[in-house]
Amino acid sequence: MNRVAGARSPGRLFTPSTPTLTPSPERLHPALWRAHQLGRPAGVGLASGFDELDAQLPGGGWPRGALTELLLPHEGVGELRLLAPLLAAVQAQQRCVMWFDPPAAPCAWALSALGLDLQRLVVLQARQALKGVARSRLPAPDVLWALEQALKSGHVGAVLAWLPARLPADALRRLQLAAQAHEGPAFLLRDAALRHHPSAAPLRLALASAGPDCLRVTVLKRRGPPQARPLELALPPVLSGPALARAQRVAAVPAAGLARATAAPSGPALSR
Amino acid sequence: MRWWALHLPLLSLEAFCATLPAEETTEQTARPVALVAAHRVAAVNGAAAACGVRVDMKRATALALAADLLLAEASPVRDAAALRAVAHAALAFTPSVTLQDAETVLLEVQGSLRLFGGPAALQQRLLAAMAPLGHRVQLAAAPTAVGAALLARWWPREVAGAVFTGTDLLLGPHATDPAALQALLAAAPVWLLGPGREHWEALQGMGLHTLHDLQQLPRAGLARRFGTEVLDDLDRALGRRADPRRWLTLPATFDSRLELFARAETTDQVLHGAGVLLVRLLAWAQARQARVGAFTLHMHHERQRRVLQPPTELSVALAEPSAELAHLQLLLRERLARMTLAAPTLELQLSCQHLVTGAVPNGELFPTHASQAEGLVRLLERLRARLGDDQVLRLQAVADHRPEHASRSVPAQGGRVSDSPDAATALAAASQAHGLLPLHRPAWLLPVPQALAEREAQPMLQGRPLLLLSGPERIETGWWDGEPAARDYYIAQTDTGALVWVWHARLPSADVGAQWFLQGRFA
Repeated sequence: MNRVAGARSPGRLFTPSTPTLTPSPERLHPALWRAHQLGRPAGVGLASGFDELDAQLPGGGWPRGALTELLLPHEGVGELRLLAPLLAAVQAQQRCVMWFDPPAAPCAWALSALGLDLQRLVVLQARQALKGVARSRLPAPDVLWALEQALKSGHVGAVLAWLPARLPADALRRLQLAAQAHEGPAFLLRDAALRHHPSAAPLRLALASAGPDCLRVTVLKRRGPPQARPLELALPPVLSGPALARAQRVAAVPAAGLARATAAPSGPALSR
Repeated sequence: MRWWALHLPLLSLEAFCATLPAEETTEQTARPVALVAAHRVAAVNGAAAACGVRVDMKRATALALAADLLLAEASPVRDAAALRAVAHAALAFTPSVTLQDAETVLLEVQGSLRLFGGPAALQQRLLAAMAPLGHRVQLAAAPTAVGAALLARWWPREVAGAVFTGTDLLLGPHATDPAALQALLAAAPVWLLGPGREHWEALQGMGLHTLHDLQQLPRAGLARRFGTEVLDDLDRALGRRADPRRWLTLPATFDSRLELFARAETTDQVLHGAGVLLVRLLAWAQARQARVGAFTLHMHHERQRRVLQPPTELSVALAEPSAELAHLQLLLRERLARMTLAAPTLELQLSCQHLVTGAVPNGELFPTHASQAEGLVRLLERLRARLGDDQVLRLQAVADHRPEHASRSVPAQGGRVSDSPDAATALAAASQAHGLLPLHRPAWLLPVPQALAEREAQPMLQGRPLLLLSGPERIETGWWDGEPAARDYYIAQTDTGALVWVWHARLPSADVGAQWFLQGRFA
């Protein structure tokens, strides 16, 4: 005898007919992402002016409200040309840019040529308070306090700080917490020898020069998968056309009468 | 007419405690303090009263009762200065302010009630303005001046069964018409009246304890026995006699002194006294409806070896005038932390250099450009106060071909120097419009050019030869001001690929053998 269609025995639980679509975790909350994806949906970050770099950064640009650490072997690899589009955009919104302890004296004409507005740039030169070897090793007195005040106040558009290798133990954590009250980007520029030291910054990049007007960017730490290969960006040129051609010609010639560095990462870059 | 009386029962003690250094003020409630006038105790604080010290005791008796008693001379000058500060704070709310005696300030507020939105709102604002001064205030209201002063001094807690709380004006000692005032004052003791205090013994002997008893007696007999002052005072209190008053005028300049109890040897000890003076300055500024633009703290030192030291002056100038106590205190604290005193300080004096009258810019709930700019100015002021004026800088481009002179750092004064674009931005825009080579100057310049070693006429940086790519650019200038520069500039590449700016001296220099120098790096 056939059972009546649709009748259910009283002991069975009611199950839904079709399961509801569970949302993927990266859409639930911006702090969640899968290991193979870049964290944060696109459009939250600030445009850096370089499309290949934006594709590699979580959020499609520089993060706001968090520290970004840039590690350089020495000053003058092209870091200002990398950051200039972002700083110019911040100043175009009537916000101020503050620099803390730059490694050398900035040249006003060069900064104007990069697109920065000198009226909206404040430079804190606290390094002159220290003498001798301490000047390069230790942070100047009160510069960490000043950095924290500027981040917490929320009236500064962007912050660039050059910090030495030796910092107090909690300094980076405190700065990261202070940066959460900050609406714009905050960059810490430090020595490349610190790449193996832990840091509280959510995004860490290592910058190196890959030839004239060319910058190699290696992402050390980000909310996302590790970077497959370093990125090479073409910076706004300093050299004229003939000078650049000469540089590339010289680089292509194997070392004959010219002492070159043993590491040759710049070799393949120039032979493009 | 509505009269409000502010009575300050502990004025002399509080004025004295303002002269103590900061670390002692936190223990004020625990440490017994007594003020002495004419060899007898004139005022005691709570801790001293708990030990048994009373007014009119001799000094030795008081010390015997409390071993750690802090004794100091009562100073009417100091008390008058403190009372003046309270009167100035009251002048921000009504122009009719007068002093009743050494401890009471009278305000006539009938004209101010409508502006400030009623007596309750005015009372709240008045007490909030008094709060930074740190005095205990007893407030009472009455239709006559003397009546309000009597109520404020008496501060009855219970009248005919109703209990009054201290700050509740509408239910507290408050009378709106003379009949109600008479009813309230009926139970007031006789020693509240000045003349009543002198004749207190005699009045007590006669069994007259309250003002009601006084009013029952025939007036002629009372006048004959105790003089007419008692009756006059009573009539003024009940509104039967006219009581014209001369209003207090606000001084045109602010100059207040505070003598410290103990010598101050570090600037921290000066901080507390300076804070008190700052509060008085702001009370005066608010009575003038103005904001403070600059003030100076003078620290008078003690004589050292019979030589009078000139006072140390600390001037604080604000980029934007402000009437906020917290901001001024922070600036003063940061500046004092960086100073060292030449000699121990005995006395502090505060004067105001620059006062800005006019409407206060409107506060904004949501951040706008104006409030952001103001916030940036405050931040720069705080940074300058802590780090020094020579460490917070702005860059300026100078039209000079020598690179070390082409860029100058000036102290950052306000949020924005000027609205017009400066020469450098104009030139940059023009050169980009014409397609000129944009970045022919390095962003990082070394303040002193670094001499480079040379091998086979090639400059070397850190042991590696530099590859000259572009140049020479000849800069030859500066013969007129003693710093001539005759140089050929080249853009060179290091072996890591970074670009540097080096120059070759055209004329051989006698002192240094090197010919190649590093001037900057391209960033």
